[in-house]
Amino acid sequence: MSDPKPKKTTSRINAFKVTQVIISILFLAFFAWRLYTVIDSGIYGPDTWVRFALSGLIIGSVYALIAIGYTLVYGILFMINFAHGEIMMIGAFSGYFVFEALKSIPVAATGMSFLDSYQIISVVLAFIVGMFMAALSGYFLEKIAYRPLRGAPRLIPLISAIGASIFLQNAAQVMFGPKRRTYYNPMSLARSQGWRIPIGGEEVMLTYTGALTFILSLLLLIGLYTLVMRTRYGRSMRAVAENKQTAALMGINVDRIISNTFIISGALGGAAGVMWGIHNGIIYHFVGFIPGLKAFTAAVLGGIGSIPGAMVGGLLLGIVESVGPAALGLDFQLKDVIAFSILVLILIFRPSGIVGEVLSEEKV
Amino acid sequence: MKDLIKQGLRLGSIFGVVIIFLILFGLTSTLSDILGEFVNLESSTRTGNPGGLIIFFAILSLWAGSKATASDRSNWKPALVSGVSVSLIIALLISGFILLVGFLDSLDVAMRDYLAQLDHLSIQFLLYGRDLTTGVLLTFGIFFFFGILGALLAYWYEAKQAGEVIQKQVLVLKEKVLDSKLAKQYKENPRSKWIGYGLLGLVVFITPQFLGKYWNYAMGTVGIYVLMGLGLNIVVGLAGLLDLGYVAFFAIGAYTAGLLTAPAPLPLQIGFWPVLFFSIVMAAFAGILLGIPVLRMRGDYLAIVTLGFGEIIRVLIRSDMLSPYLGGPQGIRDIAGPSLFGVSFSGKAYLYLIILAILLIILFTNYLQNSKVGRAWMAMREDETVAQAMGINTLYYKLMAFATGAAFAGLGGALFAARNQYTGPADHTLMVSINVLSLLIVGGMGSIPGVIVGAFVLKGLPEILRELDLYRLLVFGGLLVLMMIIRPEGIWPAPRRRMELHEGELDVLPPEENLVGKEG
Repeated sequence: MSDPKPKKTTSRINAFKVTQVIISILFLAFFAWRLYTVIDSGIYGPDTWVRFALSGLIIGSVYALIAIGYTLVYGILFMINFAHGEIMMIGAFSGYFVFEALKSIPVAATGMSFLDSYQIISVVLAFIVGMFMAALSGYFLEKIAYRPLRGAPRLIPLISAIGASIFLQNAAQVMFGPKRRTYYNPMSLARSQGWRIPIGGEEVMLTYTGALTFILSLLLLIGLYTLVMRTRYGRSMRAVAENKQTAALMGINVDRIISNTFIISGALGGAAGVMWGIHNGIIYHFVGFIPGLKAFTAAVLGGIGSIPGAMVGGLLLGIVESVGPAALGLDFQLKDVIAFSILVLILIFRPSGIVGEVLSEEKV
Repeated sequence: MKDLIKQGLRLGSIFGVVIIFLILFGLTSTLSDILGEFVNLESSTRTGNPGGLIIFFAILSLWAGSKATASDRSNWKPALVSGVSVSLIIALLISGFILLVGFLDSLDVAMRDYLAQLDHLSIQFLLYGRDLTTGVLLTFGIFFFFGILGALLAYWYEAKQAGEVIQKQVLVLKEKVLDSKLAKQYKENPRSKWIGYGLLGLVVFITPQFLGKYWNYAMGTVGIYVLMGLGLNIVVGLAGLLDLGYVAFFAIGAYTAGLLTAPAPLPLQIGFWPVLFFSIVMAAFAGILLGIPVLRMRGDYLAIVTLGFGEIIRVLIRSDMLSPYLGGPQGIRDIAGPSLFGVSFSGKAYLYLIILAILLIILFTNYLQNSKVGRAWMAMREDETVAQAMGINTLYYKLMAFATGAAFAGLGGALFAARNQYTGPADHTLMVSINVLSLLIVGGMGSIPGVIVGAFVLKGLPEILRELDLYRLLVFGGLLVLMMIIRPEGIWPAPRRRMELHEGELDVLPPEENLVGKEG
């Protein structure tokens, strides 16, 4: 158990880099070979590939929305907001309760429930309530679990975040019960309906819920990008992300900016939760956890701290995850393995992500 | 005056919202059942006798009221003003909530479908078994009356000072005990340390004889968690690497033991003892294999990557693709238990085996901690750059910490699988990692007695309070947050770590983060 000599240390680092390169070449070769055999065998026609890509894009846009929440918080506090997936779950449950409440109100004029009579109002209401509740929880989460720990060693807020995540999951389980619930959508958003697109002799269906999810999340992402890049408020947010102390000296209320960051990321997460419910249909207390991890993967993939990076990373991860198992000829149960392997590989080989800046140790 | 009212309203609404959530979690009925049992009122949700609930609400409102007067106890007027404002807002919030719930219930809305804890019976209990108006008025009355009472009591008795007096007396008593002749003799005698250890060992050795079958099993689980806690203690507590996928090594240990001894997926059926050794080696090997690529990452990235690794292992062991080799979702049955000279270990004997393993691991950890390796780990935890500058090969020591921690988890896994004679994907969820991490944090990172205390608090206490089983994870989560805020060093901290975490409090200059934002 003696210390190796310093000379050996340097050689070890080189060996490490060489191993890295060899491993990555082996991985790529393996992937290429799998892809070739699967495409060559012709199990999947072009329509199937389009179907996979479409569902990947839709789920990817939801990941992107959640990933923005991770990126915003990480950009400002250099902290992984582990409980962000649970914020999404709160949004999903709030939307569910709005739909259930509206379903039980009869409208005499049409003879149907409020939900089916005024569908656009209902959906808008669900999104507003979901985003509001999620933003509220984000605000209190920061205030209770993170603010007292500012300036503590890095692991301490992370552990607190893990605790908050477990707390919220189990609070939802105890409060709402452990059973899985089906989102009752308004009539025209039925999950089995959509546009049929003919591709290669077969029909590929683009569901209305999928289209709504994709378009709405794009709109929200563009809105957020404009807020951060074009407005005065966004400028102060970026200033705080750059350097808290200097920003404070410039007359920016740092605490308020941090609170608002949690509110914004919470609102986006809540919207993602409502979309998840409308599109996927099933929610339960654990629903936010895996999407949260995936969205974190997406944020890392795109380069954590960067807003366009989170968007690109989310869409990319969605597509890879849904096309990947088929392309590699693996079981579909293993799609989570693919997502997490990407996370591990990205963190090892390119921690700055696709568009991310290289974080200097000083800043961290 | 205005400030007082404002402050009171703020405190009151916090209390009110928290109590409403307690009702939604169903904790009010559980806790008041326990209270009712305690004061022998035969009051419970089942009998419908609301005595326990009234006591519970009264205690809560007394507490809120006494909290309200904390700012000014010199005069009775401010105490009354803040007491009234606090109790008014609490009473309004709670009785409003109960009115809403009771009203919806009287309309026959099936609230249970949405809020699992609010069935008809528990709503009747919240209304004290009376009709809506009486129940709501009674709630309002209890909170209003006891809130004001609490405020006035706190003013009259100056509760805060009473608390200080008790604290002082405890300190005096502690000093008296420490200064007594016996304690001095104990301290001065060089052999006393060994006598203490001997007594402890005797207690540990004898206790299993008095435990029933159920408690034997429960204590065995606690023991296995102690083992894993000791392993994670090396990784997180000593080397400072946050590993959230610790369950992966536990699973590798359990599955190695299972696959090699069970007849089912692979017909190997090797005996227990060589397999035990082999599972430890396999887990350590997996630790090194995972460690080589990931250990260059910064702390929080490492946490997420290890978490991902744990999930990958879990998905792999339950996947259908690998089920011919790993048993799939059904897991592995008929894992061989250990036997020595033809006598198989079970029940009490197995508990002794676990205790023996713990003792060996404690000795080993203690040795490592006080050796060059341990010092290198602690140096790395404090400041990696400085440690590197001092000539410590950080990658080498990190790998060693990872492998050692993984080996302990592998041992725990093998013992776990052999005891249950079964292992499956359900045993290896993320919650295992979280449980081990929680016990480490609650007990005190980097401290061996802390790990044991933490395991007993988090795995042993829930066995005693079976009624609260539903809330175990909820409490874990809350506890993690609370510990980080109030006492990040844990219940029984390592002395060095306590000094580190409270270093800033002694500084003359406030740390830079405190300055930020206050001027802004």
